[in-house]
Amino acid sequence: MVRRLLFALLLLAGLAPGARGDALVARLSSERIAVTTAFTGESLLVFGSTEEPIGPGGDEILVVARGPTAPFVVRRKVQVLGMWFNGPSARFEEVPAFYAIAGSRAAWRLLPEDVRQERGLGLDAIPLVSMGARSPAFRAALIALKREAGLWQEEAGEVEIAGARLFSARIPLPSTVPAGAYSVEVYLVRSRRIVATEFLGFEVARTGTAARIEALARGWPALYGLLCVVLAALAGWLGSVVFRRG
Amino acid sequence: MQVYLPIAEMSVDALLLVGIGFLVGWLSGLFGVGGGFLLTPLLILIGVPSAVAVASGANQTLGASVSGLIAQARRANVDWPMGGVLVAGGLLGSVAGVQLFALLRRLGQLDAAVALSYVLILGVVGALMVMESLRALLRRRRAVPARMHQHGWAHGLPFKMRFRKSRLYMSVLPPLAVGFGVGVLSAIMGVGGGFMLVPAMIYLLGMPTAVVIGTSMFHIVCVTAAVTFLQAVQLGAVDIVLTLLLLLGGVAGAQLGVAMGGKLRGEETRALLGLLVLAVAAMLLWNLIATPEALFTVGRAAW
Repeated sequence: MVRRLLFALLLLAGLAPGARGDALVARLSSERIAVTTAFTGESLLVFGSTEEPIGPGGDEILVVARGPTAPFVVRRKVQVLGMWFNGPSARFEEVPAFYAIAGSRAAWRLLPEDVRQERGLGLDAIPLVSMGARSPAFRAALIALKREAGLWQEEAGEVEIAGARLFSARIPLPSTVPAGAYSVEVYLVRSRRIVATEFLGFEVARTGTAARIEALARGWPALYGLLCVVLAALAGWLGSVVFRRG
Repeated sequence: MQVYLPIAEMSVDALLLVGIGFLVGWLSGLFGVGGGFLLTPLLILIGVPSAVAVASGANQTLGASVSGLIAQARRANVDWPMGGVLVAGGLLGSVAGVQLFALLRRLGQLDAAVALSYVLILGVVGALMVMESLRALLRRRRAVPARMHQHGWAHGLPFKMRFRKSRLYMSVLPPLAVGFGVGVLSAIMGVGGGFMLVPAMIYLLGMPTAVVIGTSMFHIVCVTAAVTFLQAVQLGAVDIVLTLLLLLGGVAGAQLGVAMGGKLRGEETRALLGLLVLAVAAMLLWNLIATPEALFTVGRAAW
């Protein structure tokens, strides 16, 4: 069923194997993820086709999705006077808020180490420059905490192969997925070399009331602050009137 | 029903928030306190970030105190000049408190600082309340008349002013200092501070009990409004969706609490409230001393 659906999608997109003569064609199931008030997560489908058959000994597929970057601080708790406080910290610049990698096989088995590190393929290959505490434990903690939150994924999605030339991979986006521009790279690997690449992208956008409130709070904080004061006062007064009558 | 809190950046069950608001409102109606000191720890407990819990707690306290202030003002139980002096101190205190709050957040010590100030203040206030009510219970049995409170230490201070309603002629410095201190704590803890303000007004300033509640509500409304505004502008930490959901439950709970509070009065109530305050302090202290599950934490850089 899924395969047939996928095939229909590919035909519609004019991507059927051999239709255009490209070594690799890939598309996303959606280019805009709307995060509404009721958003509980969504999964994005990356699908496409290759000219040559995919499989052991043949072509391999690697899919990487990266979210917008932001600076993050990792802190270690230390015990002072019997109580736990935040102690030494390390600051990491340009940390991708979201990262997911999936492949027909694990990235380290498909590509030489230097290529993998250079392109940032795999959680241990994400370029992380840190300031502050130097211990490698901070870097390890950052990776572990991001994985725990479901925001960095290495083993989540396998690439599924259908009919030797069709592939698809699911990228699960958790409810905490940050808004911004995301990039998706699809690599075609042959004999430990990258032979073709597709660069795709999608956007995660907050919509609805929650987004409007957030935009107001960020864009016009003084107006938002006044509004919070007035609304709370009004709600408190109104509530007491209603409940006293009732 | 899941609802997304835009500033806290998390999904929470709306009914849970209304329920927490109701519980806190009920207790505050029952005991005649603001309830902010219960609300902020509960919000932190369900995973709301400390900064948002404190800022929205102040905003909720504002809403919860408005109707009380209106009622007290109508009964002419507010000493406006005295309130004005207290509020002046309180506004300065809230500005200072929000700066301290921002500094603590930059240093990454906000969570621990909020918890520690709660443990200290609630521990002391709770212990005093329990001791005071136990002493009063014993005194009632022995029927020893209460000692008159003596004050006069402040008579040497300059800038004297006449407060007709409170029947006081005193320097403005002590009320300014009291207002300032409560303002700082209000900004850091997200409370109105009634549980500190009322004893300070009675014992330190020597105000008559009749005007204490109304005047303290005037202070609470003004200072929580200032804290809400400053927190929103400087730290972007006020979540209006969170505030309104809490108020929805809180207003209903407060009415029920007031109705039930009529049957439960006097020293026993104060002892119960003191025990509740101590329990919250003990819980927060335990969170500080227990070995954390994760030694490392990660957060977006705030500077």
